Amino acid sequence: MTNMTISLVSIAWISLPFFIGFVVYLLPQFARWLALAIAVLSAAYAVQIFVLGSFLDIQLLDNFGVTLLIDRLSAWFILTNALVTTAVIFYCWQTAKTSFFYMQLVILHGSVNATFICADFISLYVALEVISIAAFLLITYSRSDRRIWVGLRYLFVSNTVMLFYLIGAVLVYKANNSFAYQGLLGSPPEAIALIFLGLLAKGGIFVSGLWLPLTHSESETPVSAMLSGVVVKAGVFPLIRCALLLEGIEPTVRMFGVATALLGVSYAMFERDTKRTLAFSTISQLGFVLAAPAVGGFYAFTHGLAKSSLFLIAGTLPSRNFRELRDRGIELKMWLALIIASLSICGFPLVAGFGAKVWTIKNLLPWQAIAMNIATVGTAITFAKFIFLSGQKSPQTSPPTPLLEGEGSNKSKTKVQSGFWWAIAILLVGLIVANGVYDQAYTLENLVKSLVKIAVGWLVYLLILRKSVIKLPRAIEQFEHLIGIMSLVLILVFWMVQIQLNASSYF
Amino acid sequence: MLEACVLATILCGFFGIIFKKNLVMKIISMDIMSTGVIAYYVLIASRDGLYTPIVTTKEVAYADPVPQAVILTAIVIGFSIQALMLVCVMKLAKNNPTLEASVIEENNTP
Repeated sequence: MTNMTISLVSIAWISLPFFIGFVVYLLPQFARWLALAIAVLSAAYAVQIFVLGSFLDIQLLDNFGVTLLIDRLSAWFILTNALVTTAVIFYCWQTAKTSFFYMQLVILHGSVNATFICADFISLYVALEVISIAAFLLITYSRSDRRIWVGLRYLFVSNTVMLFYLIGAVLVYKANNSFAYQGLLGSPPEAIALIFLGLLAKGGIFVSGLWLPLTHSESETPVSAMLSGVVVKAGVFPLIRCALLLEGIEPTVRMFGVATALLGVSYAMFERDTKRTLAFSTISQLGFVLAAPAVGGFYAFTHGLAKSSLFLIAGTLPSRNFRELRDRGIELKMWLALIIASLSICGFPLVAGFGAKVWTIKNLLPWQAIAMNIATVGTAITFAKFIFLSGQKSPQTSPPTPLLEGEGSNKSKTKVQSGFWWAIAILLVGLIVANGVYDQAYTLENLVKSLVKIAVGWLVYLLILRKSVIKLPRAIEQFEHLIGIMSLVLILVFWMVQIQLNASSYF
Repeated sequence: MLEACVLATILCGFFGIIFKKNLVMKIISMDIMSTGVIAYYVLIASRDGLYTPIVTTKEVAYADPVPQAVILTAIVIGFSIQALMLVCVMKLAKNNPTLEASVIEENNTP
C-alpha cells in the first residue's frame, strides 16, 4: 500500500465509528453486530500498523487543520481499546441492553481511538469532550439516582478541567501560532501547567484523579470495565506522547508517574471493597505507564486487558466485600480466571504482565527505581486479597445478601451467562499470547526478582494486613474537594515546570 | 486590563463551583467560567487587530480567525454538556427538591 491509501484508510477508520454510532440507533436489530464489527475493525487496523510498521504523520486541511500521528505506540492503545470493547460487547450480548447503549459504546470507542492518533491540542480537546459525554451517558444508563449523581459528578469534574485545558491551549497558540503538541516546549510554564492539569485529571493521575474510584466502582460492570480498561488511557496517552516528543517535559511526567503509583497502591491496599480496590489499583497502574513513557504502550495494553477482565469478574462475584467473599467462597472456574488476571497485574511470570513490568523497570531512571519497586510490592499485596479468596467447587447457598451496587444489576447476578466466559476468554488469551512480545524478559535474574517481590507482598498480606481493619478517610473524594484540588495541582505543576525550565536554562 | 477582567471572570466561576451550595448555581458558575474562557479566546484573537478577516482593498489590521473558529466548537460542546447536566438536575430534583449538592452527595455515596 502506498502512503496515500494508508492515510485514506486511517481517516475512514477514525470517522466510521461516529457514523456507525448513529446508524446503530436507526437499526436497533443490528446494534450488537455493528458494534462488534467496529471493534474488530479497530483490532485489524492496529495489527496492520504492527505488521507494516507504518508511521503516519497526516496534516489535514492546511496549516491550522487537524494533525494526526500514528505509530506503534498508538497501535498498542488502539489494540487495547479494540479488545476491551469486544469483550464488553460479548459480556452484554445476552443482556437486554438497548441500542442506545451500543450507540454510546461505539461512539466512546471511536472517540477514545481519536485521542490515540491526534497530535494537536484542539482535536484532542474535541475527542476528550466526546468521551466525557459518551461515558456520562453510559454511566447513567440505568437512570437510578445514584448513577445519575455519579455521572453528573464525572461530567462536572471533567468539564471544569477541560476549561482550564482550553486556556492552556490558547496560550500555546499565542506563543507558537499553532496548536500542535510540539509547541508545548516554546510556551510559557502556565500554558504547560494548565494543559497538564486537564490531562492529569482526565487520566486519573495523582490527587487530581481521585474522582476515579467512586465513578469506576459505582458504574455498571461492563461500563466500569470500559472506563478502567481504556477510557482513562485517553488522558494518559497525550501525556506519554508529549513526554516522548519533548524531552524537557519528560521528568515532570515521570515524577507524576511515581507519585501516582505510590498514592494509588497505598489506598488500594487498605480498601475492603472489591471494585474500589480495582479502581485504586487502576490509579497506581497508570502511574507505572507514565513512569517509563517509552514503553508505556505495552504496559497500558496488559493493564487494560487484565483490569477489564477483573472488573467483569468482580461484577459477577456474589458480594463486593472481601470478608464476605472469603467466608462464602467462590466458584473454582471463576477463581482461576481471577488469579490469571491478578497475577498478570502483579507481574507474575508466564502472563504478559511480567514482560511489561520487567520492561518498564528496565526503562526507569535510577531515582525512580526504589519507589517503583515499593509500588510493585504494594500491587502484590493488593492482589493477594483476590488471590487468597479460596476457590471452592460448590459455593454454599446462603441467602442473598443486599448488594452494595445499585438496582438493575441484581438480575444478572443470579446466573453467569456464556457471554461472560467469551469476554473473559478474549481478554485472558490476549494476556497469555502477548507474553511473547518481550521474551527477553525471561532471564533467571528477572524471574527471581519478580518472584521475590510477589512473595514479599503476599507474606506482608498474610501476616499483617489480612487482619487489619484500617479504614482510610474518604473526605478527599467529596465533590467540592475534587474541584478545589485542581487549583492546588495547577500550582504544583506550574512550579515543577518553572523549576525545570530554569534549571535547563542554566546548563 | 481587559485580560485581568477576563481572568477575574474565570476565577469567579471557579470559586462559584466550589462555594455555591445549590446544584443549579454550581452549573451556572461553570457557565460563567466557560464564558470567561470564550472571552479569553476572543481577546487573544484580537491581539493584532480588530477587523473581520475579509479581503478588501483597504489596508487594515485583521483579527486572527483561528482562535475564533476553535472556540465555536468549544461553545457548542459546552452548551450540550450544560443541557445534559440540567436534565440530570431535573431528574435528581424529584427526590431532592432542595438540590443541595452536599445532601445529594451524602444520599448517593456508599
